[in-house]
Amino acid sequence: MNVGEKERETVNLVSMLENKGPACETKTLGNYLWDDLPDPDKWADCVHCGMCLEACPTYQETGEEQHSPRGRVYLIKAVAEGKIDINEAFAKPVFDCLDCRACETACPADVQVGGLIEEARGQIRQAMPLTGVKGVVSKTVLNGIFPNKKRLDRLGGFMRFYQKSGLQKVARKTGVLNVMPSHMKEMEAILPEVGKPVLGRYPEEVPAEGESKGKVGMLTGCVMDVMFSDVNEATIRVLNHNGYDVGLPKQQGCCGALHIHAGDRETGKELAKKNIEAFKDYDKVLVNAAGCGCALQEYDELFRNDPEMLPLAEEFSAKVEDVSKFLYDNDFKRPESEINTKITYHDACHLAHGQGVRFEPRQLLKEIPGVEMVDLPDADRCCGSAGIYNLTHPEMAGKLLDRKIDDIPENVEMISMGNPGCMLQIAMGVEKHGRSEKVVHTVQLLDWAYEKDKQQVKS
Amino acid sequence: MFGRKRKIKTSDPLVRKLMDIVGESEVLFEKEDLVAYECDGYTMYKGMPRAVVFVHDTQEVSDVVKCLNEAEVPYIARGAGTGLSGGATPLGGEVIISLVRMKRMLHLDLENRKAVVEPGYINLKLTQSISDKGYYYAPDPSSQYACTIGGNVAENSGGAHCLKYGVTTNHILGLEVVLPSGEIVDIGVEGVPDLPGYDLLGLLTGSEGTLGIVTKVTVKVLKNPEGKKTVLAYYDDIDDASQAVSDIIAAGIIPAALEMMDQVAIEGVESAAYPVGHPRDIAAFLLIEVDGIEAGIDDQIEEILTVCKQNNVREVKVAKDEAERALWWANRKMGFGAMGAISPDYLVQDGVIPRTRLPEVLAEIREISRKYNLRIANIFHAGDGNLHPLILYDASVPGESERASKAGSECLKVCADVGGSITGEHGVGIEKSAEMRFIFTDEELEAQTNIREVFNPQDLLNPGKLFPQPGRCVEVKRANQDEVQLV
Repeated sequence: MNVGEKERETVNLVSMLENKGPACETKTLGNYLWDDLPDPDKWADCVHCGMCLEACPTYQETGEEQHSPRGRVYLIKAVAEGKIDINEAFAKPVFDCLDCRACETACPADVQVGGLIEEARGQIRQAMPLTGVKGVVSKTVLNGIFPNKKRLDRLGGFMRFYQKSGLQKVARKTGVLNVMPSHMKEMEAILPEVGKPVLGRYPEEVPAEGESKGKVGMLTGCVMDVMFSDVNEATIRVLNHNGYDVGLPKQQGCCGALHIHAGDRETGKELAKKNIEAFKDYDKVLVNAAGCGCALQEYDELFRNDPEMLPLAEEFSAKVEDVSKFLYDNDFKRPESEINTKITYHDACHLAHGQGVRFEPRQLLKEIPGVEMVDLPDADRCCGSAGIYNLTHPEMAGKLLDRKIDDIPENVEMISMGNPGCMLQIAMGVEKHGRSEKVVHTVQLLDWAYEKDKQQVKS
Repeated sequence: MFGRKRKIKTSDPLVRKLMDIVGESEVLFEKEDLVAYECDGYTMYKGMPRAVVFVHDTQEVSDVVKCLNEAEVPYIARGAGTGLSGGATPLGGEVIISLVRMKRMLHLDLENRKAVVEPGYINLKLTQSISDKGYYYAPDPSSQYACTIGGNVAENSGGAHCLKYGVTTNHILGLEVVLPSGEIVDIGVEGVPDLPGYDLLGLLTGSEGTLGIVTKVTVKVLKNPEGKKTVLAYYDDIDDASQAVSDIIAAGIIPAALEMMDQVAIEGVESAAYPVGHPRDIAAFLLIEVDGIEAGIDDQIEEILTVCKQNNVREVKVAKDEAERALWWANRKMGFGAMGAISPDYLVQDGVIPRTRLPEVLAEIREISRKYNLRIANIFHAGDGNLHPLILYDASVPGESERASKAGSECLKVCADVGGSITGEHGVGIEKSAEMRFIFTDEELEAQTNIREVFNPQDLLNPGKLFPQPGRCVEVKRANQDEVQLV
C-alpha cells in the first residue's frame, strides 16, 4: 500500500464517521466516493489535442502539463479511473486553476473544463475538508459574510467608517498597514470610495423614465453592491433611461460563485435556490458582474444531479443575461453628448470565455460619441483576480496582473470592463505600477453620457 | 511552481541529483504530477515517466544528459506534447526533459530572413511576432497554436500549406544540438544553405528525438504573399472531389493548400467550436487556397472553379473576406480536436499515397471502417496525397482500442501497397514502429539503426521509438517502473 492509499483510507474512515457511515445509495466513481460526482461525459469530450495549452495562464507561466487544462482534465479522469487518489498532490493543480475558462474558448470540442474543475473541487473538499487557519478563514469569509446580507452591509459600513473617519489616513501614515501581507496592503491602497448598498436603500421596483418597455430583474451582487454601489446605481439609471422598470427583489443574495469555485457546492446550491425563488416573477435577470452572471447561467449545471431542482434551474439560467448584451440586443438609446476620452477594454474572463460576450460591451463604448477605443493586446487573458484567487494565490495573481498592466496601452485615460473583481485587481495594478488610468465599468460610461444628454436638455 | 510549496518527499537519488543541476522546483516526481505526462497527443499508449525535469539553457540540457548517461537511465525530450504518434510518450521509467521553458526568440534578422529561437518557442508565436512587419513562418501544423518549433524539428512537421512551401526540413538553416554524450554541437552555418558534406540537418530533422536534443533552431522566415484567395467546393460524390484534386494539380496550378474533409469529419467540425454551416448531406468538401503575386491569382481561381465544375461540384464559392477565410481555416485546423464532440477517443493515421489513387484508397478505408465496425472520418491534405483517417472509438469499451489499432494498421497497409508511405508528417513514434516493415526491409531498417548507433550508442535517448524492436520488451520496462513508484 503506498502513501496515497493510506491517506485515502483514513480520509474515508473519518468522513464515514462524520457522516454516520457512507450513504448506501451514494454512487461512487473510481476514487470519487462522495455525493455530486463529476460528469464523465465532460472528460469524454477531451481527446488530449493540446489546443488549450497556450490559452491557459497557469500553463503559460509554468509550462507544467498538470497545470494545463488538458492536464487537469486528465488528472480528474485519472481519479475516476482509480489511477491516482484524492490527496494534496491532486488538489494542488485543481485548486491552482483560475477557473478563467480561456481553455473553453480555445477548445475545439467544447470541453467544459470549468464545470469539471468545480465538480472535482467539490469532491476534494468533501474528501479533505479545510482545517486550521485556512478552514477558519474560509468559513468566516465564504460562509459567514458573503451569504449574509446584514454582515456584508456591516462590513461595507465599517469600510465607509474606515475611509470617512480619517482612520484610513492614520493607518496609511503610521505604517500600521506594513504588517499586512504585501498583496493585502496593495489592495487596501485601492479600496474604492465605499458608498451605500443599493439593495434595501432603493425600492423593490425602480420605474422607467417615461413609457415603460417592460420589467427586468437585476442582481445587485455582494462585492458589487458593497464596493461599487455607484456602478449599481449607474446600471439602474441606464436601464431606466432605456425604458425599463428595474426590479430589485429583496430576497436575492450572493450568487454562490465563490463557494462553487472553492468546492463548497452545498452552500452554492442553497444560495442558488434562494435566487431562483427571488426572481421567479421575472422573465429577465440582468447582471453587471460577469462572475455572478456566469454562475447564475450555470445553476442548471449545479443541479445536474437533482431532478427536482433541475427544471427550475434551467428555466432560471435561461433568463440571465449580462446587462451590456441586453442593452445592445435591445437597441439601446444612443447617447448624443460627447465623452472625449481614450479608452481600452479588458475582457473579464467570465464575460468573454464564460458567457461569450465580447462584441456587445465594446460596441456600447464605441457608439458613445467622442470615445476613442484603443485595442488591448490579449484583452481576454485573465488579470489574476479570478474571484478570490488573488487572495489565495497572490504570487500567480501578481504575475498575471503585472502582465495585464504591461499590456495596457500608454496613451489611454480609462480602462473599461464588466466585472467588480477585475476592477479591484486592475485598479490595484494601476496603483502599484504608478500609472494613472481610471478603472470604470462599461455601464458607467454610458451613464455619464446619458447624464450629459440630460443636462444639455435642461440648459 | 506557485501557490503553496510542498515538502520534497522522495528517496529516489536520481531525482536529488537532477535537482542539484536544475533546482528543486524544476523537477516533478510525484505520481499525481507525472500522470499528466503519461502520453502526448497520441493517447492509445501510456507509460509513466520516472521524473520530469525542466531545463532552461543548453548547458543545463548537457548537464542533465550527462547525469542520466552516468546513471544509465533512459530519457526523452518533450515540447508541448501535441505530437500524434507517441514520440514524447514514455514506455515507462524514462526521465522526461521538458524544453517548454526554453521559449525565447534569440535573434531576428529580417534582412536575411531568418530567426533563431529556442526549442520551446511556440510555432504560431513566430508568425505573430513578425506579421506586422510583413513576414511569416511557413510550416503550419494544425497544432501550431500550442506546438513548439523544437517538436516540429523532431517530427519534421508539415501542415496545410506544405503542398507549396514544403515541410519543416525545408525551413531549417541551422541547429544547436546536445548529443546523447552531452556534447554540444552546431550543425549548419546560420544562413548558409546547402553546405558541402553530408546533410546532417536533414538527418537530424525528423529523427524523432532519437539522435540528439535540439537547443537552438535557426529558421527561414518568408515575406507574406501579396495576395491570397480561398475556395470552398462541396461535392455529392467523394470520387468527384478526388478527381478534382488530381485535375487541379494536373492543370499546372500549385495551390498553397488543398484540403479535403469527408462527411463524418464534417459532422464532427460542425458539432464543435467553429461551425461554418457546411451542408451535412454532402460527401466531401475541398478547401483550396492560392497565394502569391496579386496579378495571377484571379486567373488561377477561375481555373480552379472551372475544374471544380467539370467534376460535378454541387456548390463552389470564394471566401468573401478575411473573416470568412479565417472561419473556414479555424473549422479545418480544429478538425482533430473537434472529433471529441462526436467520439470519446480517436486514432489518427498519417498515410501518404500518390494523388491519382485517392478514390480507390478512400474506398478501401470505407471497407476497413465497415469491417471493424468503427466510424472513420477523413480530414486531410489531399493536394499532396497525405491522408488522415481518424478512427473513432471508445477506449472504455473493452476491445475497441485494439480494433481501432488494427483498423489503423490496415489503413497504412493500403497506403503502402499503392506505393505510398505510412507517415507524411506525424512521425512514426510508438504508434507506427511495427508498420515500418510495410515499407522497409530488415536490411534497410538495420542501416538506419546503425546510423542511430553512431549518435546514440547506448540507446538511452527516446528508446523504443521509430523502429520495430522485437528484442525490446515493454513489459520489462514497465516492471521497473512499478518498482520506482513504490519508492
